[in-house]
Amino acid sequence: MTAPVAHSVKPARRSILNWFLGVGVVGWAASVLYPVLRYLRPLGEAGAGGPLKLSAEELTTLGKSHFVIARSGTRKVIVFEAGGELRALDAKCTHEGCTVQFVPGDSLVWCACHNGKFDLDGRVLAGPPPRPLAKWVAIREGNDVILTMEKA
Amino acid sequence: MEARREEVRASVGERLYRWLDARFGVARLVEFARHKEVPVGGHSMVWYYLGGTTLFFFTVQLVSGVLLLMYYQPGEATSYESIRYITTKVPFGWLIRSVHCWSAHLMILSLVVHMFSTMILKAYRKPRELTWVTGFVLFAIALGFGFSGYLLPWNELAFFATAVGTDSVKSVPVVGQWLLEVMRGGPDVTINTLYRFFALHIVILPLVMVAVVSTHLVFIQVQGMAAGMAHQRPDRPGLRFFPDFLLRDLLLWLVCLIVLATLVYLLPYGPGIPGMEWELGKKANPLTPAYPGIKPEWYFLWVYQLLKEFPPHLAGMEGPQAALLIVTVLMGIWALVPWLDRRASKGQPSPKFTDLAIAAIIFMAYLTLKAWDIGGHALPGKLPDPRSTAWACAWITLGISCAIALLRLLAYRQRWMYFSGAALLQVVLNGVFGLDYLLAGAAALVVAIAGVVVTSRKEPAVQLRAPK
Ligand code: FES
Repeated sequence: MTAPVAHSVKPARRSILNWFLGVGVVGWAASVLYPVLRYLRPLGEAGAGGPLKLSAEELTTLGKSHFVIARSGTRKVIVFEAGGELRALDAKCTHEGCTVQFVPGDSLVWCACHNGKFDLDGRVLAGPPPRPLAKWVAIREGNDVILTMEKA
Repeated sequence: MEARREEVRASVGERLYRWLDARFGVARLVEFARHKEVPVGGHSMVWYYLGGTTLFFFTVQLVSGVLLLMYYQPGEATSYESIRYITTKVPFGWLIRSVHCWSAHLMILSLVVHMFSTMILKAYRKPRELTWVTGFVLFAIALGFGFSGYLLPWNELAFFATAVGTDSVKSVPVVGQWLLEVMRGGPDVTINTLYRFFALHIVILPLVMVAVVSTHLVFIQVQGMAAGMAHQRPDRPGLRFFPDFLLRDLLLWLVCLIVLATLVYLLPYGPGIPGMEWELGKKANPLTPAYPGIKPEWYFLWVYQLLKEFPPHLAGMEGPQAALLIVTVLMGIWALVPWLDRRASKGQPSPKFTDLAIAAIIFMAYLTLKAWDIGGHALPGKLPDPRSTAWACAWITLGISCAIALLRLLAYRQRWMYFSGAALLQVVLNGVFGLDYLLAGAAALVVAIAGVVVTSRKEPAVQLRAPK
């Protein structure tokens, strides 16, 4: 009489055990993987996009080669003088991230990687970049140049 | 006296053999080796040696790589300096570095030729689908090796090439940004990126490579090398692997070594073709603008050029995203060829896939030539004119493709050429007539699809003709 009972209980018990085992394995894998994945992604750096003062060295480069690239936190800014006016744009091309340069002769901002061209306000003129370069505000205060991100 | 000593020595060897056999069953292995044969096909035997040469160059990479590690120090102030020290001060340091660079290029070259010959000879067909897939994975790993190793000297060229190369990762849906930061060790390429690439290049990839190569080789041992297709196979016995094939293999490896040594000696810094040079140049400085002529290594050039051909926006995607989607789809098709090619898996001739390989070669050759700016007269500091480059590259591709088509037609009686014809149509429309690259591509796609549709209606006729 006991045999049929055992038969009907066994598969159910087994499937419950399998279920527990499965949950256990998934939980174990997640508890191993999560810290590793989290570890791999570095912390963001502080101070990105804050106001920035150009150093004396950067100012001399600006005077000499018509433009200079400065770093603000994790962002790179290109500062150049065009038509007596000081301008600043994000230096990272919106296409594949090369660093752009200012071409005084053609008065445009140029990315050499895939021939992307921007006007002095960062709008795309030609080439593959999909978006304009973000604008920064550059102000002269006495002998200093202060850069701040333009509010969108 | 002499004879006795000989006898003792022989019996020592004999005893060792028996000792091992009792424990590991060595006799079975020897028996297996004795019967191992390499099929003699209707095609040239050359193609059977390319896997071996790839393995040879990989071994050279392991040895020269470990030697470079004795002096190389990753770090902001040391990476570039230590490589310069290796090439200028360390005795024969230039030699070791040059061997590592040359052998890397030769390994990829040999791997690519191996892959295309496998494709054209249909060696991937049932039951060898997984051998093809592991081979494809090995190809991907080799590209990973090239890409990660490129950054390690921390010079200007490497810096920008890596910035552009890793940037494309951000277009992966959902996890793109996460992946980008994990690869770079931050939002931008910095020395943290170099640390990660270093770990990848010297630990992770070698381990994975050795594991996958072993799998690839086990598959080949279990199944044997693929014979030619039934309709082109002569009734000849195979070549014995031991010692006939192995000795030829060794001889070829010796030739490879001599070629490598000659190249290293004559051109220690590479042939100077963009994507194939390793002059150290200037140290990387993240705050200098990119300059014209920043190019990845030659085997990435077709992707690099494709990125350039795409407009800023396409079908609601940003250009690079669309371009990489296309590359991913093409690569996926390539990896799944053994399952797509149903005729070859039944042992029937499948001219479409032969033609697909030729079309792939035409497609990549045109893009690569363009990336080299062949025919575009560049003024210093300016970029070469893309129109005249396209014109010159199209004519070169056209010439070579026609020669190949003629050879296929006359020597191999291959008639099915819709894919390669379509690829060539795109080249001509874009290069010769100046049509937009993508529009030309769309036209070519229409031709290719039409070709498949029209000829698959007549499929039975093909079947009747082929088997002899
Ligand atoms: S990265 Fe600037 S144009 Fe491509």
